Amino acid sequence: MNFIMWILTSRRLILVILLCFLILLLVMVVCACCGTQDISLSRVFEGPSKLPGENVDYEIFMGIRLPRVVLAALVGAALASSGVVLQAILRNPLADPYILGISSGAGLGVIIAFLSGLSFNLLAGSPVAVFAFGGSLFTVWLVWLIGYFAGRLNVTSLLLAGVVVNAFFSAVIMFLTSIARSEQLRATVYWLMGSITEKPASVLGFSGVGIVGGIVILFIISNKLNAISVGENEAKSVGVDPVSIKLAAFSLTAFITAIAVSLSGLIGFVGLVVPHGVRVVLGPDHRTLVPVSAIVGAIFLVSADTLSRTVFGQEQLPVGVITAMAGGPFFLFLLAKYCKGISWLK
Amino acid sequence: MSVFLSAHRDQNEASYHYTEQPKRIVSLAPNITEILFELGLEKQIVAVARDSDYPLEAETKKKVGTFWQPNVEAVLALKPDLVITLAFEQQRAAAETLRRLGYPVLTLNIKRISDLYEAIEKIGYATGTEDKASELMQQIRTELDEYNSTYSGRKKIKILWVIQNEPLRAAGRNTFLNEMIELAGGENVIGSTLQQYPAISSEELYACGAEIIIHSAMGKRDISEQQSEVERFWSTMLHLPAVKNKDIYVLDSNALLRLGPRIAEGVGEISGILHKSKRTKKESSG
Repeated sequence: MNFIMWILTSRRLILVILLCFLILLLVMVVCACCGTQDISLSRVFEGPSKLPGENVDYEIFMGIRLPRVVLAALVGAALASSGVVLQAILRNPLADPYILGISSGAGLGVIIAFLSGLSFNLLAGSPVAVFAFGGSLFTVWLVWLIGYFAGRLNVTSLLLAGVVVNAFFSAVIMFLTSIARSEQLRATVYWLMGSITEKPASVLGFSGVGIVGGIVILFIISNKLNAISVGENEAKSVGVDPVSIKLAAFSLTAFITAIAVSLSGLIGFVGLVVPHGVRVVLGPDHRTLVPVSAIVGAIFLVSADTLSRTVFGQEQLPVGVITAMAGGPFFLFLLAKYCKGISWLK
Repeated sequence: MSVFLSAHRDQNEASYHYTEQPKRIVSLAPNITEILFELGLEKQIVAVARDSDYPLEAETKKKVGTFWQPNVEAVLALKPDLVITLAFEQQRAAAETLRRLGYPVLTLNIKRISDLYEAIEKIGYATGTEDKASELMQQIRTELDEYNSTYSGRKKIKILWVIQNEPLRAAGRNTFLNEMIELAGGENVIGSTLQQYPAISSEELYACGAEIIIHSAMGKRDISEQQSEVERFWSTMLHLPAVKNKDIYVLDSNALLRLGPRIAEGVGEISGILHKSKRTKKESSG
């Protein structure tokens, strides 16, 4: 009986994931067809020309829009799935991928890269991307260590460590920007705002493997996340070791968020709104939440980025403006529609 | 020699698919647009960044986004055979994408007056207008030298150049505004600072001893309104010669804030303020 239930639920899960994935593909194709220039798909299918400028439609589609759409999908998926997992292991609805110090760590890495004026290529990543990645991982593990020594990974001490490390590194960033030459300062501020731009295929390949791999492993341990999100004692009672699962989930989210941040800077709201939106509609089961949030996050950021580069014609909006302005009201709508039964005055 | 070598390398970079002169040039910065027009390349320019407002003919050209946010799709759609960008973080991604797709991109770093000469030389090299470029360089150099020799022996007039009101930021020594101030016979009251455009405390302002205060106009607001606002701001510091003599100016001139071929015009504007002000009249009459 249990087995049949399992087959039924997993069939439903696979169907939901497949459906979401198809929608994602559709959205990506539609978004790649949108832009400020009119291009013809038949010209795109003619393939590349020998000299640049002979088949502009192909160059625009393959060289600009497709890399950008793929990047937005990867970043959106990484941020949304990290958000889900961090909300579960921290048991805090306000948790987002940046809560444990990643934002300030990445910012610190970036300003150090700008100040040092280094130039190199590591796995096709620029110094700024490499330092952002390193800075993110460094702070996140620092927070983990502090949390570990402060209270055996008690959730509150972890959150507090995150807040304090964030505040401290933000101060260091402000100190460095106030003594930096203004050109580097502007570059850092611009970077921190977050943006989706075209990246070379090699960068997309490496980071795609990292992000998708990370999400797949998170999906594999998602059942154990269900136990943890209820409470640590409850998790222990069903045979789940909370510390090792938390460590695994934590290092995976840190890894994929660091990749996302190194690709696109800090893009807010995706990691907070998408998990909650999906949770409100599909319920709190992490086996569904992790994959569906990842896909919906990708859909959300791809659409937001397409809006940001088309809505005002040639002028591009920062994509964070769109994610916040579209995500906020939409989330409130979901909250009102699905949570009518919740009484705020108990 | 090193100038020649770097220009030569950029020439290769700028024309590695095309052996002939570029015929479809896109300029992503207003000062580059001005240089291109000065070199007589008006017909070859197919598009400019929206901020290009000089010369007037530039406004009739197609726009491909702003200097801050160039639209790469729009650039590609014009099939350019030379795209000229500035070495700014905001233009780096666009330049990288265009290069990756095989388009010739010339990236220029224009921060000081000496960079301007180099930029003109490189553009001349990449567009086959070397003669005109050296003519233009010579012309700018002569004009600037004239100011230099006129004012080099004279007493320097102390200038404070405010580029932002709240919080107050001024042009420091390591800027082209400082170079322009010095060419026009002035001396920046701001000493050497870590930042190019440092934030200045009221205490520092109190003691700066500025004889002339220049404010860059903020946005497109009415200048006389800005002028009275600025005068109100300074009215408490009557001990400053500039405030006492009402030598406070709000300047709204794109020749002044753009490191381009009209640099001598900008220096002229500053020296006009410096040497025709009430203070000089008073000195000469008294």
